[in-house]
Amino acid sequence: MSIAILDAREWQQAVDLGTGRPVAGQGPKTDMVRGLLARHPFPGDRDPRGNTWVTDTALDLTAAYDPDFVFLTYARQYYSARYSPLHDGERAEMVAAAFAEAQRFASQSGYLTVVIGTCGMTPAVAGIDLTGLDGLGVAANWSTRYAGVYNPSPRDLDFLAKHDGLERVASRAEILELFGGGPEDGKRLPDYMVVNRTGRYFNTTSLRRLLMIPNAAPVMPVSTNLGPVDSITDIKAALLALLATHKKVAVAYLESVGCEDFQIPYTTCRNGLDWYRYEPGDAHYLTMTTGRHAVFSHNGGYRYYLDDTETKKYPFSGYFTEIPQGSIGQDYPGRSIAVGNRSMFMHVTTGCDITVECFARNLYNQGLMAVLHRDDK
Amino acid sequence: MLCPYCERKCRLDGDAVGFCRMYVAGEDGIRERFPDRWCAYAVSRLETIPFYHVYPGGRCLVVGTAGCNLDCRYCSNAYAAKEDPAELADILLTLRPETLVDLARKQGCHAIVFSINEPTVSLPTLQRVSKAAKAAGMPMGCLTNGYATTLGTRLLGEIFSFVNVSLKGLNAAFCEKYLGIADSSPVIRNIRELAAHCHVEVTTPVIESENDHELDQMAAILADIDPLIPWHVFRLLPVYKMSNDKYPGIESLNAKLVEHRKTLPYIYFHNFIGSPWVNTTCPACGQTVITRHSLGCGGDKLDEFRLVDGNHCPACGGQIRLHGEKVTWNSKEATA
Repeated sequence: MSIAILDAREWQQAVDLGTGRPVAGQGPKTDMVRGLLARHPFPGDRDPRGNTWVTDTALDLTAAYDPDFVFLTYARQYYSARYSPLHDGERAEMVAAAFAEAQRFASQSGYLTVVIGTCGMTPAVAGIDLTGLDGLGVAANWSTRYAGVYNPSPRDLDFLAKHDGLERVASRAEILELFGGGPEDGKRLPDYMVVNRTGRYFNTTSLRRLLMIPNAAPVMPVSTNLGPVDSITDIKAALLALLATHKKVAVAYLESVGCEDFQIPYTTCRNGLDWYRYEPGDAHYLTMTTGRHAVFSHNGGYRYYLDDTETKKYPFSGYFTEIPQGSIGQDYPGRSIAVGNRSMFMHVTTGCDITVECFARNLYNQGLMAVLHRDDK
Repeated sequence: MLCPYCERKCRLDGDAVGFCRMYVAGEDGIRERFPDRWCAYAVSRLETIPFYHVYPGGRCLVVGTAGCNLDCRYCSNAYAAKEDPAELADILLTLRPETLVDLARKQGCHAIVFSINEPTVSLPTLQRVSKAAKAAGMPMGCLTNGYATTLGTRLLGEIFSFVNVSLKGLNAAFCEKYLGIADSSPVIRNIRELAAHCHVEVTTPVIESENDHELDQMAAILADIDPLIPWHVFRLLPVYKMSNDKYPGIESLNAKLVEHRKTLPYIYFHNFIGSPWVNTTCPACGQTVITRHSLGCGGDKLDEFRLVDGNHCPACGGQIRLHGEKVTWNSKEATA
């Protein structure tokens, strides 16, 4: 049973991660994590101390648990660029500060630290409105490049085909063929996936004005100390190989930092397959941590609300209905931790023994959550 | 002319747009500046809003427009409620009432809930949506600050069959400092009025040392109106102009509610992750009859519904107040 410690600032509650129901949550490791959360309240997604919190918390947890593998996510620059008006040099300063935090962790912990970027940010130019379709257009809050279309009429398909903001309209069959899936793999794919051109975004379920959005680059940067990797799906294997030769390895995953922003020597790897490019998000994390493309189960066009039944497991894990199998934290036999300020992705996608994440949802800072997946190492 | 909907009764002459900036004087009376314009539509759970005693387990389409008639220092949706609506016009969606209802239907929703900003600032649009929703057999609910005139309140009661009114504070100094209004007596009047016509739940965000001492008085007011009103006491999430403030203490606030649970059986204390005070117990025998997960202001969720024969306690048979029946989350998907 995985235990989650919910920390709502000066008040904590332990729950069974699977059922969401309260449990005692006591024991040496649990008590250690409770203390860690109490010492490191989360300052907020866009707070200047947001990335410092990651390093401070990770150093504290590293000292207490002595893991061999550490997964870190730094996301302040992503949230800030997305929603805060930044002057010309401000985003560059944030990116530099994120690199500095990764370096601080490396130097103070002594871990060989691999730095991985995602893709850069580009100004949000104009929205695309799918509410007028005869069928249903579904655009997720955090996805700007992809939307799903269900039961489109011929009029809808004509509208989409002629839309100058769209790069592609891909049928379910095309996506299955691209990723080598069979009919069973298409259950969570929309009838059609529509793909935006750079700078365009779908008017989604949230009003917050978008200022910058991910540019969904075809390649992503990886620091050269990982060695050559051809594709995002190769990163997990490369990390495991590195762990076999080095005692202590960390990954610092810098959200919304593309090749154009990367400040240390790097190589590139493919960020997707053919026309499909990962945005920062659940599918990107899962593909990196499992070494398998995650488009079938997690994509910007899925109607996630269908899964939200009252019997859904993992109520504190957002729209995830299970903890994905085959992640690097699950497959690596040594001790592992993950710390990050990109909400639920830490405990869901990394599978590390102990994960610590902000419980900030849609920029509302409600505290922290730690998950103890393993207590036997 | 004076705005007839909100207790501010702003003068709308010439180009004046009033405090909420959503109305203007027209040739035939008050006119909306942004009719049929929406800031968002999103699928959500009714428990998230929060409505704990309305169609338990139901799926709703959450909608909002722009603007507000209060000036809360802790507004959690300031990006929609506090911005000048004219500045948002380029990103507001234009949706005719029938289109909005159809969006709800296509996404398998059981209800439409207006909950992002204040419905009083968009009453004519909501009247049109209500007509379309009623034609489609889809109930509507809302969150409101309750600072409406008697006319505005009557319209809210006609449009919505379930309402959650925010009773934020009582004394004048608090109202002026935290809400930007002179006093909250209209809110209490309107809770009483709405409770006579539709299902009402009440929400009170608590700021430690500022309005927690008023909880006793609020409890007495609600008990006088209707002791079975579900009362959601919120631990305030300090945002907007209060983003540097301390988070209120949880145990200390809950201690203030213990006595009141004896007279108001449906008191809930939440708006923070992991709250254990979100379950419904039977007023007659104390049996836990509905359990929920408290996922913070990201949304609460039904866990287990144990009532039998609609709304009866499985232990003693006592009735639990419910507006509408238990709903299965995906039951409307077949019509999508």
